[in-house]
Amino acid sequence: MTVMTHVALLVSGLAWLYPLFWALGSSLKSDDDFFTDGLNPMPSHFLWANYLNAWQEASFGRYFMNTILITVGTVVITLVVTSCAGYVLARTRFPGRGFCLGLVSATLFLPHGYTIIPVFDLMQRVHLLNSLWSVIIVQASGGVVFGTFLFMGYFMAIDKELEDAAMVDGANFHQTFARIMLPLSGPMLATVGLFTAITAWNSFFIPLVFTLGRPELRTLAIGMYAFIGENSTEWTLLCAGTVITLAPIILLFVLLQRFFVNGLAGAVKQ
Amino acid sequence: MSSPISRRSLLRGAAALAGAGALAGCSSGTSGSGASGSKAKTTITYWDWYASQASWVDNEIKLFQQAHPDIAVKKTTQVSDKYADLVSLAYRSNNPPDILMVPKSPQLSQQVSQDWLMPVDKWATKSWQSSFPENSFVEGVDVFGGKLYTAPFAAPAPSLQLYIHHGVFKDAGLTNDDGSVKLPKTWDDVTQAADAIASKSGGKVAPFGFGNSTNTTLAWWLDLFVRGAGSPGGAAVGGIDGMDYRVGQWKFGSDRNYLDVINLLMEWKSKNWFYPNSMSISDEQARAFFERGRFGMTVGGVWNQPEWTQHKFTDYSLVTLPSPSEAPKALFYGPPGGRFVAVSSKTSHADEAWAWFDWLYSPDAGKRWVEQGQGLSVYAKNNDPKSVTFAPFSQYVAMSGAAVVGPQPAIRNPKVSAVQLPAVKPDINDVLAGIYTGQLKDPQGALTELEGKMNQALGDAIKKAPGVSAKDFAFADWDLTKAYTTKPGA
Amino acid sequence: MVMTAVRQDVTAADPPSAPPPAAARRRARRRTYLWSYVYLAPMMVLLLAFVVYPIMASLGYTFYKWDGIGDPSEFVGLANFRQIVNDSIFWRSLGHTFVYAAFVVPIQLVLALALALVLNNKRLRFASFYRTLFFLPVVTSAAVIGVVIQLLVSNFGDSINTLLLNLHLIHQHIDWLGDPHFAMAIIILVGIWHTFGYNLVYFLAGLQTIPDELYEAARLDGAGRIAMFRYITIPMLRAVGVVIVILAVIGTFQIFDLVQVLTSGGPFFATEVVNTYIYHLAFGGSNANAVQPDIGLASAASFIYGLLLIGFSIVQVLVLRSLARRRGAS
Repeated sequence: MTVMTHVALLVSGLAWLYPLFWALGSSLKSDDDFFTDGLNPMPSHFLWANYLNAWQEASFGRYFMNTILITVGTVVITLVVTSCAGYVLARTRFPGRGFCLGLVSATLFLPHGYTIIPVFDLMQRVHLLNSLWSVIIVQASGGVVFGTFLFMGYFMAIDKELEDAAMVDGANFHQTFARIMLPLSGPMLATVGLFTAITAWNSFFIPLVFTLGRPELRTLAIGMYAFIGENSTEWTLLCAGTVITLAPIILLFVLLQRFFVNGLAGAVKQ
Repeated sequence: MSSPISRRSLLRGAAALAGAGALAGCSSGTSGSGASGSKAKTTITYWDWYASQASWVDNEIKLFQQAHPDIAVKKTTQVSDKYADLVSLAYRSNNPPDILMVPKSPQLSQQVSQDWLMPVDKWATKSWQSSFPENSFVEGVDVFGGKLYTAPFAAPAPSLQLYIHHGVFKDAGLTNDDGSVKLPKTWDDVTQAADAIASKSGGKVAPFGFGNSTNTTLAWWLDLFVRGAGSPGGAAVGGIDGMDYRVGQWKFGSDRNYLDVINLLMEWKSKNWFYPNSMSISDEQARAFFERGRFGMTVGGVWNQPEWTQHKFTDYSLVTLPSPSEAPKALFYGPPGGRFVAVSSKTSHADEAWAWFDWLYSPDAGKRWVEQGQGLSVYAKNNDPKSVTFAPFSQYVAMSGAAVVGPQPAIRNPKVSAVQLPAVKPDINDVLAGIYTGQLKDPQGALTELEGKMNQALGDAIKKAPGVSAKDFAFADWDLTKAYTTKPGA
Repeated sequence: MVMTAVRQDVTAADPPSAPPPAAARRRARRRTYLWSYVYLAPMMVLLLAFVVYPIMASLGYTFYKWDGIGDPSEFVGLANFRQIVNDSIFWRSLGHTFVYAAFVVPIQLVLALALALVLNNKRLRFASFYRTLFFLPVVTSAAVIGVVIQLLVSNFGDSINTLLLNLHLIHQHIDWLGDPHFAMAIIILVGIWHTFGYNLVYFLAGLQTIPDELYEAARLDGAGRIAMFRYITIPMLRAVGVVIVILAVIGTFQIFDLVQVLTSGGPFFATEVVNTYIYHLAFGGSNANAVQPDIGLASAASFIYGLLLIGFSIVQVLVLRSLARRRGAS
């Protein structure tokens, strides 16, 4: 019974990832094999040079760094902003809370995008265009609603007595948050951080628009797109570029994933 | 040219650079592109969307910087299908490049009226202009309000050709007595060749193939075939795409040739003569499949060639304008003059930007353009087929007679530049995809509807433009097989 | 500006008849409120500046014919709205979006719940490994993986076709992404594949919140697996389930990247969804076919779609809530 379950899970799980395996395998093939192999992901011999070529031709080195900076910046800002907001929305019944909650929920339903021109003008007025900061700020603001909701749910589920005990011990508002609540929210920090990192890492349109004057600020996703445009028929290199682009975020997920479900479970308890 | 770095050192580097990089990114907002102006060496920024032509541009930059040690050119190749949007945003943020390839949208007249571009008359004197062919500088094309903004770079050439795969043709027995490949000239020749390929290969090789994922290539087929039948508007390239300047109207529905070509294509399709994935693959994929002999014929432009050359695939021919009878009744038409790069009005390095402008337009740069097989040069002496060693490209150079200067409404009445034609959706590309995939069951009806909508849109746009009438688009005395000289104010 | 609003709110909220010993507590509460606003401020600033303000600003564009260059000047009143409402392609793309949601949401949720039940078994080893396998597609960007899948499907649809032809399941070669009948099906399949992982972990998270004691008690009472699923799992998951359904529906209505990369809405609008429709209006000015972008028209379409979505969401919340309540009562 359990053996059958494992076999079924393993086979279907690996089949589920077939497109990724196919990309990985194709990234190591020669041009001719790519066309004759069809759906077989296994290369007949491994052409590691594809990675070197893709890395050099698309100047992935610099893009890599930009993507890391943008992702880290976006994650940090999002975590700070949403954990604070989620905390007060969960724990204090301040006047105007209902209005804030309503506003936050309403934006969840509105179609986003296509509002790039007002955002662009705004960034220009504060002189942040063509900097990594603009990408980070715009990116972070896109994820604050969802993150706030998750933190709110998580903090609501934490025992109120803990907080009261801290207050009795003379801890003030900030100390309660920083010393009691925040350390307890590790799984949620990992969850929101991971969601934000995935979006920031993969984002295309925002970095494209906000770094248009300075190609040296481009991210991997834009580099990848430009690469497709310039080397549109070098599909093995394209697959190598895909692997280069996706590998770091996959790795990050694998490292953080054990916190992930626990964090979500905490948020939905309410 | 970075060497592969281990993940660990990469992460360590990232941590160290995080602070510095963020600071650099922050301070850039105030400095802008002119920051390096105080140094001895001036850096000018240059934008284009030339991806497959990048090797030519990069080489020119290298040579230019050798000749001008005090100027550095910083090239940015923007993603081509976002180019127009990015240029527009760059001007919005007052941060455009010093010199740029002229975007195809918005209309050049609008770019001039928005004060995007700087007139170059100061440098482009009459003697500078005299090295170009006659009628290269034309009001409404590259001259606006008497001022020169850009100049032609390439000579008129047939935009589209039918490419013939020698291997597939030989396997199907389509050869002449001397063993050379029998090139089709008429529609019937094409049909017969397709029939031979289909039957000889037993269905393994498709006679035709294309890559329509960007929804443009089906119109290339219509364009190429319908011109041969005598419809000068074509469907995909030319003035205001597809307009018949004999009457100043679109004729998709009323000119019988369009339906004839569509019926021909649909007949071929009903015989399964098109490579089955043609609608979903990209033009690039189609190019790779043609190279590998998956199909024998495809329609495309000269942009196919550099890559095939790079892959050492040279065993193909090209023919243009296949016709119902022997000689094509209409040709490809281009405007006199033309556009390539322009200097931005916002530049603070106008002289250096002009130097690069002048370099790109030099006969030598054009010569290298032709030698690399990128296209034809505006300077006729560069386009001698004898000096081109590569056979398919010399075929291309030799067929340059199939493209001539056509009528140009903006020359006869400069106010025509103010006509802003709104997009009509669905357009000819959509309609063709609808017919091809069987979603539009009545081709004639769809074509008639499209013709009506486009002429209606033109009529509305004309009403909004003072001093313009429908007559401004009609040239009744046009002989389709000859170059046409539009007379100002006639 | 934020601070003055804060003070007003706090005074207004103060209960006038609070007893004197509560004065200190009141001061403490006031301070708590004050800090609450400070904690909330960064989030609200980002939200107002980069989410709410742009939506309001683009509402202004809906009354203009504007290509995004310079400032809007040609006022056209409600013409943009009229044009969208009268455009059959808009309604077709709305229909396609609903079809996409109608297939993706139920299939994805049923599969995700089933797998979550299997993986939630405490005695199953390597559960987190399997979870990772099924979650991984989520981590990949739709734009990048879409390119790979487009290659996979269109290049090598041949292999699939040969197989199907040999099995006599089809009689003619199918152009999977180029055929109006199949293109949407492929997009739906890829859509299910791509975001399946989110629903899986949401359900897993929901299942983890159900106390084990409940199952143990039921087991002691002699309840079978099906009975436990029916009388414990389903009722306990109801609240979470509502959220998961809403998130899944919101997500599917924002479908864009996959369609843009796989078919860009073609052939002949057979896979056009509302977001690609709006995108094609707003960024028509690509180099391949120089069509003038129309920001006003795109903003109007976006606004109409937003209204439809909010209306639909309200209906959805009401229906789900009443369903949950009725089930709860029975």
